[in-house]
Amino acid sequence: MTTSKDHPEAEFPDSAAQTAPDTDQRVWHAGGLEPMPIRKLPQAPPSVHILGPTVFLVALGVGMGEAYMWPRLVLLFGPEIRWLFLIGVTLQAIVLLEMSRYAMATGESIFMGAARVFKPLMWFFFVAAILIYIWPGHLSAGALAFESLTGVPWQVTGVLGMLLVGVVFSLAKVIYPLLESLLGLLIGVLVVGTAVIASLVGTWNDLSTTITGMFAFGYLPAEALSPAWFPVIVGSIAFAGPSGMQQMWNTLQLRDKGAGMGAHIPKIRGLRHAGEEEAMPSRGFMFDTEDPEEMQKWKGWRRWITFDAILLFWGITMLVTISFTILAQAAARTSPDVVTLLREGEREAALSAMSDSFAAAGSPALGGLFLGFIALIGLNATLGLFDSFSRGQADMAYFFVPGARRFKISHLYALFLWGVIAFGIVILLFGPADGPAGILDILAFLSTFAMGAYCVVLLLVNNRMLPKPIRPKLWTNVVIGFGAVFYLGMLFYSLVRFGVVVS
Amino acid sequence: MVPSRIRALAEVAVPALASGAVAGLVVAGLAAMVGQPVGWAAMSAVTLGLPIALLGGGYGLLVASGRVRLGVFAPAAVYWMIGFPLARLLHETWTPALLGGSPAPPADPWGFLAYQGLVSLGFAVGFVWLNERLAPRWLLRIKAHNPIAHQLFHTYAREAEQMQEAKQRRRTGAASRAGKGG
Repeated sequence: MTTSKDHPEAEFPDSAAQTAPDTDQRVWHAGGLEPMPIRKLPQAPPSVHILGPTVFLVALGVGMGEAYMWPRLVLLFGPEIRWLFLIGVTLQAIVLLEMSRYAMATGESIFMGAARVFKPLMWFFFVAAILIYIWPGHLSAGALAFESLTGVPWQVTGVLGMLLVGVVFSLAKVIYPLLESLLGLLIGVLVVGTAVIASLVGTWNDLSTTITGMFAFGYLPAEALSPAWFPVIVGSIAFAGPSGMQQMWNTLQLRDKGAGMGAHIPKIRGLRHAGEEEAMPSRGFMFDTEDPEEMQKWKGWRRWITFDAILLFWGITMLVTISFTILAQAAARTSPDVVTLLREGEREAALSAMSDSFAAAGSPALGGLFLGFIALIGLNATLGLFDSFSRGQADMAYFFVPGARRFKISHLYALFLWGVIAFGIVILLFGPADGPAGILDILAFLSTFAMGAYCVVLLLVNNRMLPKPIRPKLWTNVVIGFGAVFYLGMLFYSLVRFGVVVS
Repeated sequence: MVPSRIRALAEVAVPALASGAVAGLVVAGLAAMVGQPVGWAAMSAVTLGLPIALLGGGYGLLVASGRVRLGVFAPAAVYWMIGFPLARLLHETWTPALLGGSPAPPADPWGFLAYQGLVSLGFAVGFVWLNERLAPRWLLRIKAHNPIAHQLFHTYAREAEQMQEAKQRRRTGAASRAGKGG
């Protein structure tokens, strides 16, 4: 890793050498791939003003982990178990910051960063993404809630939902802004609505036990360490906040939003507008880290993403989970059946029982509203996962599959999008009979492994592929290293000690 | 002059009032859904939905008068941490009274207020989120005749310009790279 004007061995250029950005011939050598030309870093937006792209990640990350898995653990083991959730989400906030470090410094995805370190690492994620995300399990939770609400069979909703997502993202240029606005409003209502329900049905005691439980570090009842429950706890930690590869995909969202050096990379378009796509450069860019002015702008970008990570990502995820945990506690007070069903792991039945308990305490409409929120969460997850999966696979395929550059990246995006939709429809109609919860179990296992693996990749990429002035600090490396040990350690402990994968 | 300024301020406050009203409608709808008689639900709409909508409008006035920066979360969090619990206290206490019973304050008012105050943080996030999506379009609509809206709109416009510049850089950069890129 060196920079040069003509050859890789030269020293990093001094700031005086940088004048006109596009005529700058200097490059940054990172790993074995094509070096990155030096370009100007754009000015960062005000750090505390706009709602950044992380909000999108939050909307996608708030899923079954928050709505079902953690409320379940709280009801079974007590609120003290939430210290593990606190660790999981805090770790994810740091991961977000570190993922964005590479993406904003280079305009490249973390997959490209992994390929710069060692290409098989990138291929691992390419294959893992297919194994994990080709299953339509994420769709079933919302579709089942919709079935409970309307009686429409969940497979029908699932198939129609997937086709709708495919059409919408294929017409992206026209429809996407509308969809984003609509989802934005729905998410706003979701946040307001869960807060209001919690304010109506919850109590100070529910809230205080939920919050104080987060600080009961080390609490692990004997039953939690049993073969039946330890894998569940590991899976729940993996589902705290964005799970699996969502954080990696967020580097592509940041690039498309033009964050940091992502401003120099063109956007992916919908299939209908693929012809208008600008030429995609074959690598990212680097800014002059020896230039104090550029470093000042870099600090601005770091402040911007830190605000997103701490206040929006960490804060909103915590708030929504706290609301759902309070709802679960309120439901358990009204209906003891809820706890029994949760213990048995009957997710759909437990969610229905929670809905029923609100209906019993209030009216059928309140129970319906709860199911409506679950369906909304499912819809958000489906929209986000299909888009992110296709984005990630298209990115890796475009840069690394021989011959793929004959196509535009938007065409590859459409190929993966419709591929995953077609497979999803076949699975929903003729797939394994063990039901949607079984699909989620497989997801949880592979997700955990991918999360441990991306922590290792982050350490390698940020410490070896970036110039020294913008590499992570020691404490950050320690936290990410802890993340790798945390995810992989628990996964393999579960396998070796109990012979059971996470669930 | 004063009435026209008040009118301009009030007009700028409309999106926040609408955000509060949306939230208020959710609240009132939920109250109606808690299986209480129609009268109780309607009264809840008044005792909870209306205060929240008015508080939303109040927040819009603070933005319009420049006391609070548009889109910044912290002031909204503080504002709702005070406003939301008071609205809930009003709802809890006076709904039975307005329906012919006697006022029924919560058994542990401080615990109640503290709980509602914490829940209000989540509420504030949703409120800011909704307001951020409604305000720019409304300001664009009224800025021609409303000087306060004009000024506020330019805050948004500067941001949009920054984004546009970034987009332009991307396009010109991509065009110049077309020969080199893959």
